[in-house]
Amino acid sequence: MGDLTHVTIAFETSHLVFPTLIAGVLVLLGLAILLRDRARIAASGAAWRQTFAAMDKPRFLGTIALTLVYFSAMVPVGDLWPNTGLGFLICSIPYVAGTGLLFMHDRSWRQAVPLAIVALAGPTFVWWLFTYPLFLTLP
Amino acid sequence: MFEFITPLFVSLILGGTLVGIIFGAIPGMTATMAVAISLPLTYSLGLENGLALLLGLYVGGISGGLVPAILLGIPGTPSSITTTFDGYPMAQRGEGEAALRIGIISSFVGGIISLAVLWLFAPTLADFAIKFSYVEKFLIILFALTVMAALSSDMLLGIFSGVLGIFVSLIGVYDVSDGGNGKLRLVPPGWEYWLDSGFSLLPVLIGLFGLAAILEQAELGVPRGHSAKDIKVGRHSAFSFSVFRGQAVNLVRSSAIGTFVGILPGVGGSAASIIAYTNAKTFSRHPERFGKGEPAGIIASESGNNGLTGGALVPLLSLGIPGDSTTALLIGAFTLQGVQVGPLFIGNNPGTWNAMIVAMLIANVAMLVMMYVAIRWFARVVTIPKHILFPVILMMCVIGAYTINYGIMFDVWTLAIFGLFGWLAVKLRLEIAPFIIGFILGPSAEIYFVKSLESFGDVTIFFTKSWIAVLLWALILGSVVLSVLLARKARRGEGS
Repeated sequence: MGDLTHVTIAFETSHLVFPTLIAGVLVLLGLAILLRDRARIAASGAAWRQTFAAMDKPRFLGTIALTLVYFSAMVPVGDLWPNTGLGFLICSIPYVAGTGLLFMHDRSWRQAVPLAIVALAGPTFVWWLFTYPLFLTLP
Repeated sequence: MFEFITPLFVSLILGGTLVGIIFGAIPGMTATMAVAISLPLTYSLGLENGLALLLGLYVGGISGGLVPAILLGIPGTPSSITTTFDGYPMAQRGEGEAALRIGIISSFVGGIISLAVLWLFAPTLADFAIKFSYVEKFLIILFALTVMAALSSDMLLGIFSGVLGIFVSLIGVYDVSDGGNGKLRLVPPGWEYWLDSGFSLLPVLIGLFGLAAILEQAELGVPRGHSAKDIKVGRHSAFSFSVFRGQAVNLVRSSAIGTFVGILPGVGGSAASIIAYTNAKTFSRHPERFGKGEPAGIIASESGNNGLTGGALVPLLSLGIPGDSTTALLIGAFTLQGVQVGPLFIGNNPGTWNAMIVAMLIANVAMLVMMYVAIRWFARVVTIPKHILFPVILMMCVIGAYTINYGIMFDVWTLAIFGLFGWLAVKLRLEIAPFIIGFILGPSAEIYFVKSLESFGDVTIFFTKSWIAVLLWALILGSVVLSVLLARKARRGEGS
C-alpha cells in the first residue's frame, strides 16, 4: 500500500504535475457531461439556430466588430504620436459615438446630440485624467 | 489607529456608494461591473483609499438593485430578484415609495448585521487558519470548489466550470518565486511572449463582468430605457416604521441567512435573497400574502442580499478565498497594491483591516441616508439611456484592462477573449462564479498540492495530516452529498 501511494516529483517536470492532473479531471468531467447531457448536446444545433434567430444581429455582431476594430486601431494610430495617448483618444471618440448610435433605438438629432457630447467629452476627460493626474500613458 | 480616516477616504466611500447605487439601479448593470471598471482607479489611490471606493461601490451596487425591482418589476441586480415578488405589486397599487423605504431600511439592517459578523468572526477564523499547512490549505480550496458546485444550478457543470478556471489559471510559467521550476506549460507555440505569466487576473474579470454583460444586452437588442411615466413611486403612499413591527425575527433571520450564504464561497446574492425569502414565507403566519405585495417579503429579500456583503468578506480576509464574484474583484485591488489576502492578512495589516470595517460601516450609513432622502431622484436613474451608458462603460473596460499592468495591449485582447468567453459560457450553461474562483485559486492550489507531495512523498498525507484534514474531507463529502440530494429534489420537483 505504501508503494502504491508513494509519489516522487522530479523538480525538472514539476510544472506538469498539477496541469496534467487538472486536465485529467476536466476530461473525466467532460465525459460525464457528454454522457448525461447527450440528448441536449445532440439537439444543440437547433438551440443555437434559435439563439441566432432571436438575436439582435446588427447590435450584437456590430458591437463585436466595432470593438475589434477599436482594439486593432488604437496602437497603430497611437504610434503616429508616440507616448501621448492620442491613439486612445482618437479611436475612442468614434467608438463611443458608433456603439452609441448602434444601441440607440429612435435615431434623431435630439438623441444624437447628447451622445455626441458624451462621445467627445468622455474619452477626452479619461485621456486627460490618466495622462496628467495619474501619469499613466495610454496607447 | 484611525489615521486613515481623511476627507479623501470619506469622499471615496460616499462617491463609491452613490455610483454603486446608480449602477445597481440600472437593469443590466451590476455591483460587480461597477467594481470591475473602477479597479484601475484604485492603483493611484493606495490600498485603504482604493478599498474605500470599492466597498462603497459594493454596498451601493447591491442596494441599488431594489429600485428597478420595486418600480419596474425588473431586478437591477440578480440579488434583488425576490424583491420584485412583493415590491412590484406594492408599486402597482401606488405604494412604491413605501416599498422602497422598507427595502432601504432592510438593506441597512442586513448590511450592519453582516458587518458585525465580519468584524467578530474573520479574525478568529484567520487565527485558526494560520496553523494550516499546505495540505489543509489545498483541502480548503477543494472544499470551496465543492461547495460552489453543490450550490450551482447544475452540480456537474459547476464543478467543470471551477476546474476549467483552475486549468486556465495554470497557463504560463510555473513561477520560481512560488517554488516552481520556471518552465512554461499550456502555452501554444508563438504565444510564449504574451502568455509567459498567463492571463492577467483583472482583464479576465473586466472581460467576464463588463464586456460579456454588454454583449448579452446587445444580443437582446439593448432593451429600451424606461421613461419617467413608467415609474410609479406613489406620491401618496405613506411610509411608517410600524410596518417593521413583528418583523424583528424576519430581519435578523434573513440577515443571518445572507451572511451565512456570503461566507460560502462563490454562491452569490441571488441565492441569499431566495433562501431568505423562502424562509420568511415558510415561517410567516400569512404565507398566502407573499407575492402579492407583502412587506415581509421585501424585508427578507433585501436584508438577505445585503447580509451577503459582510459575509462574503469573511472567507476572503481570513482564508484568501472570495465569497462571491464582487469580492473576487477585490482581490484585484489587493494584487495591484502588492498585498496578499489570507490568514496572515488581518494580523499583518491591522490598519487596512480597520479601514475596511470603517469603510463598510460608513458605506452602509451613506446608503441608508442617500437612498432614504433622495429616493425619488434615484428612481429616475432607471431612465438614463443605455445607448449613452454602455459605450462609456466599454471604453472604461478598455482603460481598466490596459492600465492595470502599466500599459500592455495584450491585456486589452484578454478582455476581448474573456468577454466573448463570458457570453458563450452563459449559452453553454457554464457557471461564471466557480470559473472565476477556480481561476483565482488555481495557482495557490497548485503550489499547495505539489509542495505537499514534494514534502511528504505520499498521497495519503491529504487524509492523514491532521484532524482538520479529516474534518475538511468530511465537509467536502458532505457538500457533494448535499449537491446530489439537491439535484434529486430538483428533478423530483420538475417531474411532479
